[in-house]
Amino acid sequence: MTDDIILKFADAEILLDESAYNKIKSYDASPNLVDSLIKHMTISSPEMMVLTGKVVDDYLGQSTSAMIGSTYSNNQRAQMKLVPQDFDFHILKDASHKSYTNGEIKDLSSYFKSRYHKLRELLTYKRELKDSYSIKEAMSRDDVIKIVGMVNDVRYTKNNHKIIEIEDESGSATVLIHKENHEVFEQSETLLKDEVIGIIGSRKGTLIMASALVNPGVPRIDEKPMDFATVFLSDIHIGSSTFLDKAFDRFIKWINGDFGDDNQQEIANNVKYVVVAGDIVDGIGVYPHQDKELTIKDIHQQYEEAARLFGEISHVKIIIAPGNHDASRLAEPQPAIPEDYAKGLYELKNLEFVSNPAMVSLDGIKVLIYHGRSFDDIAMTVKGMSHQQSDLIMKELMEKRHLAPIYGERTPLASEIEDHLVIEEIPDVLHTGHVHINSYKRYKGVHLINSGTFQSQTEFQKIYNIVPTCAQVPVINNGSLKMLDFS
Amino acid sequence: MGYFETLEEGTAQAYEVAIEARKKGHDIETEPEIPLAKNLAERVEGLVGPPGIAKHIKELEEEMSREEVAFEVAREIVTSDEVMKADPGNKDQYKIKEEAADQAVRTALSILTEGVVAAPLEGIDRVAIKRNFDQSWYLAIYFTGPIRSAGGTASALAVLIADYIRLSMDLDIYKPTDREIERYVEEAELYESEVTNLQYSPSPDEVRSAAKHIPVEVTGEPTDQVEVSHRDLERVETNHLRGGALLALVEGVIQKAPKVLKYAKMLKIEGWDWLGDLSKTKKSDNNDGTDEESKGETPKVDDKYMRDIIGGRPVLAYPQTKGGFRLRYGRSRNTGLAAMGVHPATMEILEFLAVGTQMKIERPGKGNCVVPCDSIDGPIVKLRNGDVVNVDSVEEARKIRSQVVEIIYLGDMLVAFGEFLRNNHQLLPAGWCEEWWIQLLQKSANYNDGQEEELNQYLQERITARGAFDLSKQYQIPLHPDYTYFYHDVTRKDLNTLRSWLNHDIDDINIEEDLKVNIGPEKRILESLGVPHRIREGKIVLAQGDAYALLNTINQPLNTEDDISTLEALNQVSPVEIMAKAPTYLGGRVGRPEKTKERMMKPAPHALFPIGTNGGNRRNIVEAAKKGSITVDIARCKCTNPECGVGSMQAICPVCGARTVPTSSGKKRINVANLLRKAYKNAGVRKLDEIKGVQGMISEEKFPEPLEKGILRAKNGVYTFKDATIRHDSTDLPLTHFIPREIDVSPGKLREMGYTHDIKGEELKNDDQVVELRIQDLVISEACAEYLMRVSHFIDDLLKNFYEMEPFYNVKTKGDLVGHLAVGLAPHTSAGVLGRIIGFTKAAACYAHPYFHSAKRRNCDSDEDSVMLLMDALLNFSKVYLPSSRGGRMDAPLVLSSRIDPEEIDDESHNLDTMEMLPLELYQKTMENAKPADVVDMVDNVKKRLGKDEQYHGLIYSHETSSIHQGPKICLYKTLPTMKEKVNEQIRLAERIRAVDQKGVVEGVLNSHFLPDMAGNIRAFARQKVRCTKCNKKYRRIPLTGECTCGGNLILSISKGSVTKYLEISKELASRYPIDPYLVQRIELIESGINSLFESDRSKQSSLDVFL
Repeated sequence: MTDDIILKFADAEILLDESAYNKIKSYDASPNLVDSLIKHMTISSPEMMVLTGKVVDDYLGQSTSAMIGSTYSNNQRAQMKLVPQDFDFHILKDASHKSYTNGEIKDLSSYFKSRYHKLRELLTYKRELKDSYSIKEAMSRDDVIKIVGMVNDVRYTKNNHKIIEIEDESGSATVLIHKENHEVFEQSETLLKDEVIGIIGSRKGTLIMASALVNPGVPRIDEKPMDFATVFLSDIHIGSSTFLDKAFDRFIKWINGDFGDDNQQEIANNVKYVVVAGDIVDGIGVYPHQDKELTIKDIHQQYEEAARLFGEISHVKIIIAPGNHDASRLAEPQPAIPEDYAKGLYELKNLEFVSNPAMVSLDGIKVLIYHGRSFDDIAMTVKGMSHQQSDLIMKELMEKRHLAPIYGERTPLASEIEDHLVIEEIPDVLHTGHVHINSYKRYKGVHLINSGTFQSQTEFQKIYNIVPTCAQVPVINNGSLKMLDFS
Repeated sequence: MGYFETLEEGTAQAYEVAIEARKKGHDIETEPEIPLAKNLAERVEGLVGPPGIAKHIKELEEEMSREEVAFEVAREIVTSDEVMKADPGNKDQYKIKEEAADQAVRTALSILTEGVVAAPLEGIDRVAIKRNFDQSWYLAIYFTGPIRSAGGTASALAVLIADYIRLSMDLDIYKPTDREIERYVEEAELYESEVTNLQYSPSPDEVRSAAKHIPVEVTGEPTDQVEVSHRDLERVETNHLRGGALLALVEGVIQKAPKVLKYAKMLKIEGWDWLGDLSKTKKSDNNDGTDEESKGETPKVDDKYMRDIIGGRPVLAYPQTKGGFRLRYGRSRNTGLAAMGVHPATMEILEFLAVGTQMKIERPGKGNCVVPCDSIDGPIVKLRNGDVVNVDSVEEARKIRSQVVEIIYLGDMLVAFGEFLRNNHQLLPAGWCEEWWIQLLQKSANYNDGQEEELNQYLQERITARGAFDLSKQYQIPLHPDYTYFYHDVTRKDLNTLRSWLNHDIDDINIEEDLKVNIGPEKRILESLGVPHRIREGKIVLAQGDAYALLNTINQPLNTEDDISTLEALNQVSPVEIMAKAPTYLGGRVGRPEKTKERMMKPAPHALFPIGTNGGNRRNIVEAAKKGSITVDIARCKCTNPECGVGSMQAICPVCGARTVPTSSGKKRINVANLLRKAYKNAGVRKLDEIKGVQGMISEEKFPEPLEKGILRAKNGVYTFKDATIRHDSTDLPLTHFIPREIDVSPGKLREMGYTHDIKGEELKNDDQVVELRIQDLVISEACAEYLMRVSHFIDDLLKNFYEMEPFYNVKTKGDLVGHLAVGLAPHTSAGVLGRIIGFTKAAACYAHPYFHSAKRRNCDSDEDSVMLLMDALLNFSKVYLPSSRGGRMDAPLVLSSRIDPEEIDDESHNLDTMEMLPLELYQKTMENAKPADVVDMVDNVKKRLGKDEQYHGLIYSHETSSIHQGPKICLYKTLPTMKEKVNEQIRLAERIRAVDQKGVVEGVLNSHFLPDMAGNIRAFARQKVRCTKCNKKYRRIPLTGECTCGGNLILSISKGSVTKYLEISKELASRYPIDPYLVQRIELIESGINSLFESDRSKQSSLDVFL
């Protein structure tokens, strides 16, 4: 019994002090109390993960025993919904409040070491790389070479062969991919700087001739049953003069069951979660002279307006991650939008803030949320990749098991001691935004979704001839994708 | 002997000495490496060739314009028999064609750029003959980054020349594919978003149209590490940005479309008519926006100069704002060529303006350099005790500076007519001034010549108020400017209020004494009118003259009913006509500070001698010598003596003493200790603590300098530049006349140099006579003189000890430098201009004739360039040291122009006014906003003198300057140590200047300087490179090993300090001033972003750790 209580809290990443523990233990319906306390803690104050005796007292004081008996503590709005919802929501991975960097060079070093080790572990788990060795050792061997390294540079020789500079903690090596080796050469087209790959080949002097490149890769995952609907949003850009407020109103009406045909209303009734992958507001100072394109020039008021709009959604759980327009730091991983800026949103009991990226579990369905800043770099460097087809980029990122491999270009990366951008666990859904263009692909059982935007074409996009897909909202309803158009 | 002959003789003497020295064989070449060129044609031949072209150019110049010559020369080069015969299908003969085309473009471009600019050498990589997909042949021109130095027009014409060559060679046009066209569109946008803004931002359709229609391929080498998405095009060799090609296409062909079209028509080159549509549809180009303003229209407010307000560079006046700089037309002996006069008292009070400080201005151009001129109006300021003072001397300005609470008027800015002409800016109404008034008087019907003496008297002494009114009545002319106040800056009601207030205590408006009135809110009206007054014993005291003028001007209440201006209403009642004192106010802000400083590379070497990392961080050769032998990447030379054949790295074989030739370069072990010991001996120096070398040579052959040169430079405290010359850099300022006393040279010495008479034709005897400057004579700064003295000591040591010859300079005091020859050389050019030192200025600048600056292709809006001693250039300069990288031949004296021909220099100097007084009609035309080109006939300028003897002398000026270095010599920006202090002073100044809005300045500094800087650095921080402290190697990303391959420590290339440097001051400004909340929030967001990057959450969580 004692262990039960501690384990349950530990699973939910909640610390409890002795007085809280004693209070819970002495409560006669403690198993139920534990569950409801965990719900209470994760929903009401995600930033405070220490359960003290005082919190238990407060909670017991405000809750009736009937409510503790249920597994979910409703707030007032939630009580108005037609069908009581049972949220099985967990944050599986979140980088907020875990920024341990001091911005020193040792942090930068440990960041890339962390990336290398995490991905190396995934790679050496594979049969073909089980017996790989360090680069230094490889350079003294004459048999088949198997190494795992981080890409430093990719370039062409005069004869159009490909050269990869690769390194690990023991040293670096130059890998040549012969242009006649069509299969490997083609595979190498999507090689990115700073990704971690396995290389199998043979040594020729100081060069390694590659015969195969190995990605950490994605094993096919089994389909999980889903008997609810999840809505995927991003890039709403509240506060911008190009924010499509009317379309967004229609969306709110729909989710509350007041808009759309029977079929659509049926989906609305089935909605249990709304996930927002960044850029909920347009922010301030994101680009020069932004103030001229804002209807709300105050960052607090932008979030207040967001709170007003999202406050109308009552019976579903909303999960919000930041994007490059939000009031979080720019460097990734971005911590959750701070309470200072989004008071109104924080007051909504059915709303959760997570970092970018973050992994959440929605009734057992794992959703990896990432805003998508790195798409800019990949669209620029890889032939055949573009903002229009972010599904292709997402597929590559899944294979590489990293959300933003390229360092030093447009995507600022914080030198965190641990690399939070590695995809350590395969999600059921990868949800992104940023490019303002919808895309969807089912890849090895994973739903790859880019959720478009609620912002009409901006001046910037006009210049670059980017045509956004506005107010088209992807919904996964009972396991299959539906696109709803609110434009 | 004439002036030029004197210079030429001196040059010849120097060459003789240098030839003798070089013959000794210590240098790689046995003669001086700078060919002399008397004129444009010889410079072209010297710079780009082909041999013999100079003579032909001179022949063609007889009958053609410069542009026509360029095109004709190009045509002739590619249509020689040999080239015509060559078959493009044959590999060798095809090469002949390509080479001819290449030569033709370079020679023609060099002619167009006066044979000075480096662009024909460095701006074009190559010209190629390539194939269209339909197998027809076409011409491609490969531009590089340094094409920028040619300027827009010349680079556009380079494209046109290429087309002319294509036609002459009978090649087909370039037929771009759609992908190739889109590539240009993408590159233009990418360049602006990733690299830097283009002068003109073209629309995608403009680029599309240009790319489609230009009949030759405008391409080039990659300039920036930015990849495009239109990749792997068959005919485009690179997937990176082609910066040079973009400059030629956008800032060249597209921006200068009308000019290109004009030349195409003139030369009857077909296939360029599409440019007509382009220039029509072109978005309004603000750079020459004035073209659109038709005559008579009031000019629009242009606040471009205010768009970026930089910390520590104060805004001095908002655009067209009361109290700003008053426009005054004219030229002083130290203005023109973009230098403009400001009263030295204004400079003293502002403190941020020194002689030579750059200003960004509203009109007529974009920038200028400030020089003192004390014959124009100074500032009107209000003191702490309430006095309002007209400050007209430096001494007074210094005395009252600390008591100034408001700068009501900044005073005049003296702008030459030529500045309007050059910028093609419509004339702006002139400020009402004495030189205008006097001409009205002279032209008046009641005036006869006999009154000249009487008139002179008025000019000599200050006229009385009563006298001014009498004269106006007598000659029917407006009231003298001294008694004309800034009436247009107040309302009619204000004037009525003022009138009754002044009239309160008097019975007769013809008062004879100072007027005392009680203090009241009316004082502000007096201040706005710019009427000086004092506060004594609690009363306002007006001088009799001012009181008389006011009472007699506003002698009745003004009509406040009709819709008329204050001035119109005033003229309804005033007995004499009242002119607008300041119909035009000019806005401006401080730009780059003035400069005079020795050229130091970073780190600064004494010798171009490689020592790798053996000399420590300071690259000390003495330190390296302690190791005995070291391994460095250095030239290999082989002895020419067949019996010896020993390898070395010197020009003279250390074994047999014969000459050597460089064969290759590579890693080599050299005994520095031994070399240094010998060199000490040769140089006659016992021992030095520090002789700084370089880490490695960046030249092709890596040939090192003799160590002796380094020893002697170190001994004399001078440093070498990349080409082995010693330079001193200064801000360029113009000067057409000087006074012996101010340049610190005696009349006797000046007479020796040929200055026999002053401007009045009187013999030069006294040190206060005004003398016209010869066109190649220089007045260098005292810092420059001090440095050049050390250089002369180095040269003399070198001649004595190393070359074993007689010393050349024998300079003991700075006065001994007078008469010696120097070379002026500007960045982006490759031709030095010969000059002669004749005096010294206390200003941090180099004063020289406008022709001299123009010959270097500089103007005086804060350009700076270098001066070196002629003998240094001849002895030590060698092409062998020039960097092998792109642009290596820029800023190197590849030829030396010994004589300036005003016709062959940049035509900017042709706009220089040369009149004693601007004509009355011109003043009247300014009121109509006439176009300068329409009234240029009224003005005498250099252009009208070209080709005549008058081009060299008689370039008179209209406004006297009593000293060319009055006022501050160093501006406050440079004396205040920290940005915080600079910004505080900037804001304090904004508080005091009436024409500036303080809040706007604070917001401007945040908006355009601090916030972008911090945001940019945060971004850069999160994607930065790392660097090795030991070998300086850079890594795009930190290696997983965590250390450099050399084993050295790695450090971040962007420090925390550079990210946070403006944070504290920004926060402070935000808390102290009521600025836009948008900015406050931006600062807050940046702060939290910074904290997140530099503060671990662990420190905040430590309390939790207790439980873990």
